[in-house]
Amino acid sequence: MCDDAMSANLLDPTVSDQAVRRAADSRDESVMLDLHPAMLARYKELAKLRYDYPLVLSRGDIGGEIVQSLSGIVDSLLQQIAPDGIEGERVRKHVLALEREIRALAMAGTNGSLSRLWELAQSNLLARTDGGGRAALEDSLTRARTVLALDGEVIDCNGETPAELLKHVWDTVESDKARRFRNRVDRIILGLSEILKVDFMKSEDARKPERLKHSVGTAYENAFDFEAMSQLLGASSRKDTLPRKRRQRIDGVLTTLKSQRFFAPTLADAKHTSGAKSHSFIFESCTRALAAFEQRLPEMVELVKAITIAELELENRYRESAHDSFFDLFDQNSLRPEDVALFPSYLICMRDDGFNASERTQLIETLSSGLPIKVLLQSDDILEDLPIARGKFSFGKRASQVATTAVGLHSAFVLQASSSHLYPMRKQVVRGLQYDGPALFSVYSGACASAVHIPPYLVAAAATESRAFPAFTYDPAAGPDLASRFSIDANPQAQLAWPAYRLDYEDQEHQRISEDLNFTFADFVACDKRYSGCFAKVPRDQWHENLIPLAGLPVADSDARTDKVPYIPMVDGDNALQKLAVDDGLIGAARRCAELWRSLQELGGINSSHAQRLLAQEKELWQQQMEREVAALKARAEPEVKAPNVEQAPSAPTETSLAQPEAAAEAPTDEPYIETPRCTTCDECTQINNRMFAYDDNKQAYIADPDAGTYRQLVEAAESCQVAIIHPGKPRNPNEPNLDELIKRAEPFR
Amino acid sequence: MSAPFPACVVRVDDEVHTLEGYQRGVPRWCTGCGDNAILAAVQRLCRDEQLAPERSVFVSGIGCSSRFPHYMNVYGFHGIHGRALPVAEGVKMARPDLHVFVSTGDGDCCSIGAAHWIHAIRYNMDITVVLHDNQVYGLTKMQVSPTSPQGLKTRTTPRGAHLEPLNPLTVTLGVSNVSFVAQAVDWIPELLHDIISLAFHHKGFSFVRVLQRCPEFMEGAFEPWVKDPSRTLLLVHKDGIELKPNLAKVYRNQEEHDPMNLHRAREIASSADPIPVGILYRNPDATRYEDVRKSERLYTADTTRAVLEKEFDKFTIWPAD
Repeated sequence: MCDDAMSANLLDPTVSDQAVRRAADSRDESVMLDLHPAMLARYKELAKLRYDYPLVLSRGDIGGEIVQSLSGIVDSLLQQIAPDGIEGERVRKHVLALEREIRALAMAGTNGSLSRLWELAQSNLLARTDGGGRAALEDSLTRARTVLALDGEVIDCNGETPAELLKHVWDTVESDKARRFRNRVDRIILGLSEILKVDFMKSEDARKPERLKHSVGTAYENAFDFEAMSQLLGASSRKDTLPRKRRQRIDGVLTTLKSQRFFAPTLADAKHTSGAKSHSFIFESCTRALAAFEQRLPEMVELVKAITIAELELENRYRESAHDSFFDLFDQNSLRPEDVALFPSYLICMRDDGFNASERTQLIETLSSGLPIKVLLQSDDILEDLPIARGKFSFGKRASQVATTAVGLHSAFVLQASSSHLYPMRKQVVRGLQYDGPALFSVYSGACASAVHIPPYLVAAAATESRAFPAFTYDPAAGPDLASRFSIDANPQAQLAWPAYRLDYEDQEHQRISEDLNFTFADFVACDKRYSGCFAKVPRDQWHENLIPLAGLPVADSDARTDKVPYIPMVDGDNALQKLAVDDGLIGAARRCAELWRSLQELGGINSSHAQRLLAQEKELWQQQMEREVAALKARAEPEVKAPNVEQAPSAPTETSLAQPEAAAEAPTDEPYIETPRCTTCDECTQINNRMFAYDDNKQAYIADPDAGTYRQLVEAAESCQVAIIHPGKPRNPNEPNLDELIKRAEPFR
Repeated sequence: MSAPFPACVVRVDDEVHTLEGYQRGVPRWCTGCGDNAILAAVQRLCRDEQLAPERSVFVSGIGCSSRFPHYMNVYGFHGIHGRALPVAEGVKMARPDLHVFVSTGDGDCCSIGAAHWIHAIRYNMDITVVLHDNQVYGLTKMQVSPTSPQGLKTRTTPRGAHLEPLNPLTVTLGVSNVSFVAQAVDWIPELLHDIISLAFHHKGFSFVRVLQRCPEFMEGAFEPWVKDPSRTLLLVHKDGIELKPNLAKVYRNQEEHDPMNLHRAREIASSADPIPVGILYRNPDATRYEDVRKSERLYTADTTRAVLEKEFDKFTIWPAD
């Protein structure tokens, strides 16, 4: 870059700072026509650069990569087919040329799948190549094409990108949900049908000779006497058929499940459905989406009720005495969040142009409803409100304000991002669409009509860089506190007020100069030709020390006049550096933008004023504590006579105290007993006397009543017990015959 | 925290199952037979886990042990000799939501059913298998079984069993993809219950060999082990069984054995005296056949028909309009 002499002498060489201001106030609109903010200068030829766009929206599981960047795909291909070395280098060069060509096609508005654009780009490249290079190029591209396993719609960054990307992810999330729903409902239908089938098999109809014959098939139909078989089966069949009420209940549930319209029928049950079309879930306004939700609510209630009843039936847990009355009163109030989460979410794609106050109110109400409604609020112009008074910029008033309000609802997922940051934030987009409650996606497309000389991707990126449209997410499912839920990590250099960058250029003596600059709100506004009047080009001979970068201005005192003149660096059509003085109105706007960013930083846990205040307090307390301790140590340093420590040392544990209390030895007892935990349930004792010996809850024997039998039975049980756990004790009846002999036999079991 | 209101109502009247509730009929097993102890342990498990009778299935082959399903008040399938395992695998494949148990004997499993046994171990389906090993064919009045001790005189081996017995533990531990092997004895009911419980909770093919007494045809066969606790080697580990103090006091012959140690498990399994009791091997990560063969698609009769029609349509030549 070369800082050539300025073409226009805007100011006198001896001009004062006030004169610079006057010059800035003169609003020469022509100066902005071919200027770009200096930071964007190196991205002028965007089609030749490798960056996230175009994106490829590929089909797949929600857990996989369903949004990929073309560069990422090409890198992965090259890893497979281009090893280090001359040959690999040749392939790499060719495939990267193809990537460039596809990118150029996408930027030129060519739509289609990756495979289509690949073919187009390949034929364009081949047409431009001749001779020996053509065969090598064809070979490289064919090799790359062979390993390219995925396909999908290619989208570039433009006014349609947010809706296309969101619809694609929404569609994948909902397909996954539909698969799970169908799986669950199909299993229910199968289970209930089997209950009915079993019942039918018990019926007379099922045993009719002709049906039996049909079930055997033609090959062996002459081998059986179906009349006899029918009689035989009739004689032995069970008569416990389904009660009529239960059958009606199951029939009703099956009808509801098969006729639902929330998910498309599968191939198999398409024939059962009445042909009614499945519901659509994509809308353009909250009013229509809410009306549709309201209208479908009774169907939802019926379906949830049917699923709940069916699962009770399948588990054999439906109790008419309790459940009938419950399901009679089953209505929308009975729906639990997990029931609502079964159904598809509603996607509303709207733009904030012409977005009036009532629509904003309705959107906030929708987001606070807790319903599974996903809203894409797209802004194409965040500087649209021309200042009524100077410097009154809107800061994406409509979308941004709704997004920050939605964060305050605490129950809605909120994501704000420019199109340029949708790819790095794709996982958050998926999370928002998977979230069971409402979600708002506030997206700035960058496709602003008054910034047509800069590609939408760069405008969108500049909006995020300049904090004019900061990126953030609020995820209520991420945790209980703000620190877990709110994140501004996606912003460039989120710790700083304005992102810093280094500008390298040559001066008139061709010496390299590096400057550390910041990209501010004014740099972003400079992309928009409507605001050319806010800038005035400062001739090079007036670049004096009071001309300072805008980011260097003090944050406060927006109205106070200083002797400094803020400027932003820009680059003209000849690649020459220009400095543009910024007018007071825009300086004020930049300060307000910085304040808004500062409050977002605080929410995101950066430079939190609460934390800083607390830290200062703690630091002060700690210092006071330290001072007190130092004073105390000094005081203690004076010699003092202390009485000998008479504190009783803990006595050593004595043998007695260490000894664990010994379990009382199991002294022989006179009472009969059984070591129940060792009983093997062998039935020996219970067969001798099942009143004297009984089983406990674990089916192990104990002596239920020692007087329910004789001492002889106790001794015989002890002798027959295979694990010898019965102890007969002493005889309870001294008059029982042959006691002496029995006592002797009982001796081993004492 | 209590469940939301509808869930409370929906879950009202849930049944509580008692141990007696799992009992059906009076066992015909001989008095003193170890099968009774296994039945009691299994019924305790069912009660403790509150297994829904309609979601539990006991499958058996032929033999004394295979009468087991008759005495459980749940679903049962008293099958044919040696084929308990394939039937159980079929049940599990069709109804993965069911708790599937297999009761099999030393003849049913280790003789006629040996081929199915080997492959069932390798398939590692989530089934709890209890091998009732009394080392003799009891139902048919005392014939030699594969696990009969060498020299045992039976009606088919009047001069005594000719060969060394087959060791079901070493066989099981030698099959690839084995995932759970344990041994219990019917005369220590507490451990019998604990081991069967661990087997039930293992996700995979859990194989429990229970050494059990047959008072009719093998009288006194295990008497030395019953009477001398030091001849039982208890395998203890935090991932296996943990002994209660009362048992630890009686059975002092213990070894700390990590159930993941397959090599040591094989060494321990080779021991006939002392008898090892506990979890020999457990690998929760072994591949389960039903998992790898699980289909996302539910194949109902209608689905199958629709898919077939679609395939046939590819080859159908339609008459010109």
